[in-house]
Amino acid sequence: MFEYALSVMIFLPILGGLAMLLMPISRGASRITGLIVSLVVLLMGIELFLGFTGTGGMEYLENRPWIESLGISYGLGVDGISLLVLMTGAVLFPMVFAIFTTQSKGYYANLLIAQGAMIGAICATDLVLFYIFWEIMLLPIFFMIGIYGGPKRLPATLKITIYTIAGSLLMLAALVYVGVSYHNQFGKWTFDIVQLGALDLGGGFAILAFLMFMVAFAIKIPLFPFHTWLPDAYTEAPTATTFVLSAIMAKIGVYGVIRFVIPVFEVEFVRFAVLLSLAGVVGMMYCGLAAIAQKDMKRMLAFSSASHMGIIAVGVFCMNTQALTGSLFQIAAHATSTGVLFLFVGLMEERMGTREIGDLGGIAYRAPIFATFFAIAMLASVGLPGTSGFIGEFLIILGAIKFSGFIGFLAGTSLIIGVCYMLWMFQRVFFEKENDRTAAFPDLNVREILTFLPVILLIIGMGIFPQTFIKKIEPAAQLQIAKVFAMTQSQVAETTVPKPGHNNHKN
Amino acid sequence: MHDFLSILPLLIIVGGAILLMLLSAFEKVQVEIASFISMAFFAAAFFVQLLVGCGPETVVFAKIFNGMLVTSNFTMVGGLIILGCGFFTAMSAHSYFKVNLFCTLEFYCMMMFAACGMLLLTMSQELISAFIALEIMSLSIYILVGYDRANVTATEAILKYLMLGAFAGAFFTMGTALIYGGTGTTKFAGIATMISATPAAHPFLIAGSFFIFAALLFKVAAFPFHAWVIDVYDGASTPVTGFMATALKTAVFVVFANFLALSAGMHSSWITFLFWVSVLTMFGGNLVAIGQSSLKRMLAASGIVHSGYLLIALVAISTDHFTGSVIGYYLAAYAVGTLGIFAALSYLGGKDEKRGTFDDFKGLAQVRPYSAAAITVFLLSMAGIPPTAGFMGKFYIITSAISAGQTALAVLGVISSILSMWYYLRLVINMYFYEAEDSFEIAGSPLATAGTFVLVVCVFAIGLYPIII
Repeated sequence: MFEYALSVMIFLPILGGLAMLLMPISRGASRITGLIVSLVVLLMGIELFLGFTGTGGMEYLENRPWIESLGISYGLGVDGISLLVLMTGAVLFPMVFAIFTTQSKGYYANLLIAQGAMIGAICATDLVLFYIFWEIMLLPIFFMIGIYGGPKRLPATLKITIYTIAGSLLMLAALVYVGVSYHNQFGKWTFDIVQLGALDLGGGFAILAFLMFMVAFAIKIPLFPFHTWLPDAYTEAPTATTFVLSAIMAKIGVYGVIRFVIPVFEVEFVRFAVLLSLAGVVGMMYCGLAAIAQKDMKRMLAFSSASHMGIIAVGVFCMNTQALTGSLFQIAAHATSTGVLFLFVGLMEERMGTREIGDLGGIAYRAPIFATFFAIAMLASVGLPGTSGFIGEFLIILGAIKFSGFIGFLAGTSLIIGVCYMLWMFQRVFFEKENDRTAAFPDLNVREILTFLPVILLIIGMGIFPQTFIKKIEPAAQLQIAKVFAMTQSQVAETTVPKPGHNNHKN
Repeated sequence: MHDFLSILPLLIIVGGAILLMLLSAFEKVQVEIASFISMAFFAAAFFVQLLVGCGPETVVFAKIFNGMLVTSNFTMVGGLIILGCGFFTAMSAHSYFKVNLFCTLEFYCMMMFAACGMLLLTMSQELISAFIALEIMSLSIYILVGYDRANVTATEAILKYLMLGAFAGAFFTMGTALIYGGTGTTKFAGIATMISATPAAHPFLIAGSFFIFAALLFKVAAFPFHAWVIDVYDGASTPVTGFMATALKTAVFVVFANFLALSAGMHSSWITFLFWVSVLTMFGGNLVAIGQSSLKRMLAASGIVHSGYLLIALVAISTDHFTGSVIGYYLAAYAVGTLGIFAALSYLGGKDEKRGTFDDFKGLAQVRPYSAAAITVFLLSMAGIPPTAGFMGKFYIITSAISAGQTALAVLGVISSILSMWYYLRLVINMYFYEAEDSFEIAGSPLATAGTFVLVVCVFAIGLYPIII
């Protein structure tokens, strides 16, 4: 039964969501359905995590041909690279259903569809299948922001949609190019990512295709300078959507780079690595500085999230095992910490009707448990030792210094900016003087405590026992890096000793 | 026997058309009955076509009617699309004419004659028979466009279409004459032999093919012959517009591809011309569509853009192993999406098509959530978002273009579809993100509604199981 676990994890939420939309059920029933479905997915995810051996290869494989004339298959699998991303997708969703009790049916249904599509994008081993899920996951987001978003939701929806669709359609052209190149070189059609790794691309079109892929993922991450949709979308979206966007969807952008871009475009990737990591660092600093200036808490967190995505991206572009492992770890760490922070802000907004930092103050006196949870998530987000954030950021900085001292230095210093805005915000919101609004702030109730407690424990657990997670992802990261270097070196060798009459760079 | 089998669907349709023509002499026969009759005949012809063409071979019947017609998988698929379009158009017309009362029995009769011209056009392998088929189709379509005689926009539409269409027909005849002068034959096979025998192209041949291209490009509304399409689509009644946008385009593109694929020499000498026509069609169509406020006009303009995508596929066809599968698939995907949206407009439009602009559909999702969802699915399919049929169609077209070495054209096609997101999303946004001001009452029969939801299923079925084509 468990051999189809991935398919079930993908299609159970999607079908559940669609059924919810089509059937006339009440909002309470739809919330319970959503909760049950997401809990089933969570349990399957935990089972899958425990059963994962971590040898570096794909596990839980499913593969059956779909469109044979073009070699497109329905291929799913998990390896060390996708494991933690998949886990964030599976673990965090029940929280949303447990906390937000007053939303409408379509809201819960869209959340479920988003979850299924995201898990699909994470598990797909076929480039076309990945693309299909990648596009589907935008649709629920589009409707959620547009229907349930804040007052300025229309421009925000348009911005995120046009941005991401533009990126993904360019990616479509690039992925077709990759498939056609494979067909030209090996005489058969496939979009399976393991086999596409054998491709030997070169020339202007390869660089163009690489850039198209990178633009698509850079928009999703979002990497500087493609981040301009983010503040509006994150701020206007309803809390659960912001949470999904920041905790999971942004991570799929990074994951896409690791899974699909690096194995196919090794040479181009190495060539552009410095530029890309600079973009990551600049984004970190820029968004960090912008976060300091924000008055709206959600907008501040949006910029902070963008800033942290910058460091995760830097870890990917540094191309060594430490940085890559760090990035993969940080994906999970950041999803738990920032995701939870967004949910906390959502709760505050629900209880007080505002999220302006200036309107708040003194919440810690009224709600000590809430403040403690918030503090733990916040400290994890700034990378305090003992929390999950520290391990990931430490590994990334380590790898970045190995890659280039300058990048490492910049990345390290911009972490300090993060500490500034977070602590300052915490001081203004939770301490200082309380006012009429915050005086009536109720602390978390039992249901909310029970919902948040596992994740808070997970944040601390990941910080104290990181090895449990790292040992599952490190082999895959090593394998990935080793492949890149083997490929680039063989290319260098080939280009220095050109073989007469043999053209390697076939287009 | 093969001759008979290959045109059997066509004979069925003609039989139905004549039957309707005779029935219209009786006063007691009602319009609703006529629509059921035409649906039955379309369905019967569809299944016969399916049975005849379901074999594995690419060319089913090669030398029928002395080489004037051919039946290949490609023409079979084209025929199936046309018959399907006829069926669903009859369905939506049934609902549409419950509210808009200007229909007589001859409407369905004309529609079936148009369909039989289209079927003949897909099979033509010879210029004169192609011309005859084209005229059978066009004359019936002219009548359908101007069917609402009391309506000024419909009269304007038919005047424009008839005038320009007559020119296109004249161009086609002129081209046929010139090609006959250059090669001494009007059969595609004969022309191909002549082209490969004489490397230096005869000036008559070049001029003749140019005229024929002009006529065909006019029919599919490609740049620079696209200006008529907006007004004509706007003036015709909604089911007719849907029929024109899908079935007519299918027929013309099938014969276009057959003509172009007849020899490598022909294809390669026109490839640059078609490249630019396709680019200009896509971007010109997008520019026109972005500015529209009426849905029918927007859909007309988006039809131009889709013609541009199909022209990409024409540029990329390989003349050696021509199967037409990419074009056939895209036509099917496009037809399903477009027909669906016109079927939805047929029953949502109301009396005298009073709901026709983007603003009129504000808040549809709150009042009629299922209809809004169906329209969204069609729009997503037209925009090429997975997992709909439109996505697979676009995917095949891009793949064929890049395989044929036309990477630039593929990228331009992608950029054009980014632009087209604007106007497709605009309708989705209007339907979902605004409060409803209208009650969207639906008068008439539920047939168009049923057709809409069947087509939603088709969008996903064709998208997920592309093997069927």
